[in-house]
Amino acid sequence: MLIAFENPLNESALAFPILECFHILGFAIAVGTIALVDFRLLGFGLRQSAGELAQALAPWTLFGLILVLLSGPMLFSSDPDMYYLNLSFQIKMVLLVLAIVFHYTIRRKLLRGQLSPGLNKPVACISLLLWTSIIFAGIFIAFVVTPET
Amino acid sequence: MSALELAQWIQGTGWATYLRMSAYIYPAILASHLTGIALFAGTVLVTDLRILGVVMRNQPVSGVVNQLRWPKRIGFLIVATCGFLLASSKAEEYYYNTFFRAKLALLVLVAIHALVFRGSVYNNAAALDQARRMPGKARLAAALSLILWISIACVGRGIGYIEPPLDKLHAALSSIAIVVPR
Repeated sequence: MLIAFENPLNESALAFPILECFHILGFAIAVGTIALVDFRLLGFGLRQSAGELAQALAPWTLFGLILVLLSGPMLFSSDPDMYYLNLSFQIKMVLLVLAIVFHYTIRRKLLRGQLSPGLNKPVACISLLLWTSIIFAGIFIAFVVTPET
Repeated sequence: MSALELAQWIQGTGWATYLRMSAYIYPAILASHLTGIALFAGTVLVTDLRILGVVMRNQPVSGVVNQLRWPKRIGFLIVATCGFLLASSKAEEYYYNTFFRAKLALLVLVAIHALVFRGSVYNNAAALDQARRMPGKARLAAALSLILWISIACVGRGIGYIEPPLDKLHAALSSIAIVVPR
């Protein structure tokens, strides 16, 4: 059954761009702090131990992720059909789930010293690659069109 | 040559036209711009929050500032290079764009911020380690830096929301999209 109602977000022309600003600031904070730890694992940037650094920055990463995960669904709700059918959006959601699961399982284990340090560089590369791909997929949403059937 | 003529000339160059008309390259540069923003934001955020005493308090200010100096420069270089390419591909349109003008004005403020604070705060971090309490000037520098960069990110997003003044533009606009079959 289709429930017809107006999304209050679509009432104001300003709501979408303002939410986008929160979305951008959120991913900048989250991905920025994640990248600093990944760079540490790769051997450049900050020199505090990767485990301590990850612990120090974790609240900021989480804060950024919360901003993104609150603003994202609200942006989605403005035009669900378009997003749902958009190939780039579909790829982004798969990558996002993978990235979050990877972040809070394998990467976290590594940073707690529960995995071999030999995995430092592969894990850092996978993490950077996943988050960068999400940003790319997010941008491409606006440039991908699925023709009406 | 006026600023408008300069903008028209840049937008008319072969590579600027190519960028504007490309289905994949333009969004790829835009995505690189945003990836650069994330990398740069991480370094700015941690540097300024350390000066404000919010994160990594067990690490000396000078260590954090100096170790992040090169990552910060590289991040800025990525953002600025991609930003320049994006701006030049639509230079004439952006000449009229209020948000684009505001962004340029904010970037001038960033330059002024650097002139005022670089010597006494960011290049003087060793002295900040010695201070019993973080000097007011350093706190002010960190707070202003955060406010400036957050404003620039938001104003930058605004650029895309202004309709190009079609009656004034000379170059053809891009309407190319990537078409994905179902």
